[in-house]
Amino acid sequence: MLSFLARRIAAALGTLLLASVLVFLAVQALPGDVATQVLGKDATPDAVAALRGQLGLDRPAWERYTDWVGGALHGDFGTSLVTGKAVGGEVSAYLGNSALIAGITILFAVTGSIVLGVLAGLYRDRWPDHLISTVSLVGMSVPEFVVATVLVLCFSIALPWFPAVVLYGPDASVGQLLPAVWLPALALAVVMAAYIVRMARTSVIDVMASEYVTTARLKGLSTWRVVTRHALPGALLPTLHVIALNVAWLAGGVAVVENVFNYPGIGKLMLSSVQNRDLPVIQAIALVSSVVYVACNLAADLATMALNPKLRTRGRTR
Amino acid sequence: MSDIHHPGRRSVLAAGAAGAASLGASWLLTGCTGAASAPVLPVAAQQGAPDRGGTLRIARPPASDAETLDPASALSAYEYLGALYNRLVRVDKDGTLVPDLAESWEPDGKARTWTFRLRKGVTFHDGRDFTAADAVYTLRHILDKKTASPQAAVLAPLIDPDRLRTPDDHTLVVPLRTPHAEFPTLLTHYNCYVVPDGSARSIGRTGIGTGPFKLESFAPAGPGRVTAFADHWQGRPVLDAITFYTVADMSARSNALLAGQVDLLSQTNLDFATARVIAASDRATIARVENGQWYVLPMLTTEKPFTDVRVRQAMKLAYDPEHVVKVALQGAGTAGWDNPVPPSDPAHISAHPEHDPEKARYLLKKAGYEGLAVDLYTSSYDPVFTPMALAYQDSARRAGIRVRVKTAAADSYYTQIWMKKPLMATYWYTGRPVDQLFTQVFRSGSSYNETAWSDKDFDALLDRARRETDDTRRRELYGEAQTFVIDKGGAITPMFADRLVGISRKVRGYAEHGFEFDYLGIGLKGA
Repeated sequence: MLSFLARRIAAALGTLLLASVLVFLAVQALPGDVATQVLGKDATPDAVAALRGQLGLDRPAWERYTDWVGGALHGDFGTSLVTGKAVGGEVSAYLGNSALIAGITILFAVTGSIVLGVLAGLYRDRWPDHLISTVSLVGMSVPEFVVATVLVLCFSIALPWFPAVVLYGPDASVGQLLPAVWLPALALAVVMAAYIVRMARTSVIDVMASEYVTTARLKGLSTWRVVTRHALPGALLPTLHVIALNVAWLAGGVAVVENVFNYPGIGKLMLSSVQNRDLPVIQAIALVSSVVYVACNLAADLATMALNPKLRTRGRTR
Repeated sequence: MSDIHHPGRRSVLAAGAAGAASLGASWLLTGCTGAASAPVLPVAAQQGAPDRGGTLRIARPPASDAETLDPASALSAYEYLGALYNRLVRVDKDGTLVPDLAESWEPDGKARTWTFRLRKGVTFHDGRDFTAADAVYTLRHILDKKTASPQAAVLAPLIDPDRLRTPDDHTLVVPLRTPHAEFPTLLTHYNCYVVPDGSARSIGRTGIGTGPFKLESFAPAGPGRVTAFADHWQGRPVLDAITFYTVADMSARSNALLAGQVDLLSQTNLDFATARVIAASDRATIARVENGQWYVLPMLTTEKPFTDVRVRQAMKLAYDPEHVVKVALQGAGTAGWDNPVPPSDPAHISAHPEHDPEKARYLLKKAGYEGLAVDLYTSSYDPVFTPMALAYQDSARRAGIRVRVKTAAADSYYTQIWMKKPLMATYWYTGRPVDQLFTQVFRSGSSYNETAWSDKDFDALLDRARRETDDTRRRELYGEAQTFVIDKGGAITPMFADRLVGISRKVRGYAEHGFEFDYLGIGLKGA
């Protein structure tokens, strides 16, 4: 078990290392000179030379890469080309705001979708299943910005219950952001839940058809007990990975939705820094996203191991 | 970043049409009804007198994450400037110069030295008196290389900062390097707002000016607030305060207006579909800035085939501007007939060659470009670009010109396409006085000369016009300059369009033209 754990963590670290190389290459290897790309055509040669110095473009690429990774390990992501502030602090302020949305989204999406998925599985091919499956298919097919726009139309323009956009900047307090968090979280949750519902339904159907559930029923246990004590743990196992992947998807999914709501989160920062060609910020966000991705997958693997006796005990039987 | 030079263009650069995200409420509401059954858009905002007091909420696109309140900077937060500061002179609705902080001005006999008599009894927000020293400092600040002001390119060839004089506290004397009879018009630019003496380091944060509002708070690319300045020299403004909110995405801005979170969308030319949704709402309506947008298809005169003046002439004769206005603007504008000077400008001449596809065909044949095929670049940066490009394509077909319309990414449009591709769609705000317009966009070597056109004769004509102290004669010379540009220049100007501004039904006294916004008189009714 320990060796599995070690291998899995080593793989995660390797993935992160690879991701950092790719992020660095993708950003630094933009066509043309990065400094001219950032400053535009009218830049004076002095300004270009100064920026090249600031970015360290006059040094070999591998040296710049090790410097960057070394700094990143200490939380130093360099300084923004636009605002001149430390990238680390800027990114974490926006990241905190996004975490607020993400937390609420995950809460909504995971609890809601597991309940719906289990219901659909238990009432397979009857009307609750048809209803839930159809709605989740729609949720899967409609892009999140359309869902977001429909929600704005219904719940801030027609019925003025929630604000349509956030009018505060990145340093807004949780109290200021809280009224505006619900619509973006709901929009993301609808899209995210759709996948989890489908997965949970399939697992529940599989598990309910398995021998140990039949045994439990034959013992005379109530349906409620069969489902909660016997079926659910088994059915959740495959669903975990889908949840993990979806949580990771949030890191990118928030970008579009945050923009619709003018929400001062990581997605909005990413968009504006791409438009401003603020390379250090883009690099930091890309790296943070890959950390979220890898961490989610690692967490899912470890949780699967904890829930699955076969995996847990493999080390011993060998 | 360095291309960002006027509010209209900055706005969406930051907003960027994030492709999918820009698909707004309008699309969902009007997607199926189509344009044919659409209601007519209102011509003006609500009329009548506002109540005294209240807070106006304005949604604006950020200039940049590094925006500043320094009026001279290329990254100035445009909306704040008119509220916080005054200039020496400003432009009236009919294009004439009117006093702001200067009460009067006159040249010497040869228009080589200009003397400005400055207003007395004007105070800055911090209580200091406004004097000629502040006016001198403002000009030096613009000309200072460290400021990197876009207006420096226009003023530096004319003004030697060390020779500015102040004979007394309320007189400013500006000796020019070369005569210029229209010099004061250059000071109406939005980079020329007057800042206090010695404020270069702090002005970007403090915003201390002589304007009708004083700064309460400001965050770059974030929210900010200004409050009425009771000691303003023109009297107190109608409103108690204005709150400025930064909303980068255009559809998010429209949603904020529809939901009643803001009262006015600044620097936002709404597309027709969104404008109709807003006009149909109970809370908001549409106001227009008449001929506020100058649309251009600049041909790079340094790139084939536009190096040949006959091809440029053919490109202009080939299409019908009236057709473009009808198709792209649904009639909400005026045909430009390739004259960049807007019809509202007193210097505007109405003479122009007629639409003549046969002559265009003939010119192309003579130039050896029969059956010319060109790429015309456009983007979702502005809602009118693509309709304009398609209307041009359609109209020019009659002259045998095949135009391929290509869509480029909006976020890099002004770094990768503008001044790089031989033919593209773009726009400017109107409101530049004629000399500023020609100097900035058509004179050889200017950094905003988007057609890279360089004609010694044209430059000489501009110099002659500047030297001419007789008003009638000078106007004739600027008329000749327009004929010159229409005939030989690289800019195709199909039209001037009304800017469609989203505004709350509670707002009264909204008045905007060119770069002038009436912050003093705007107010709310029944708020």
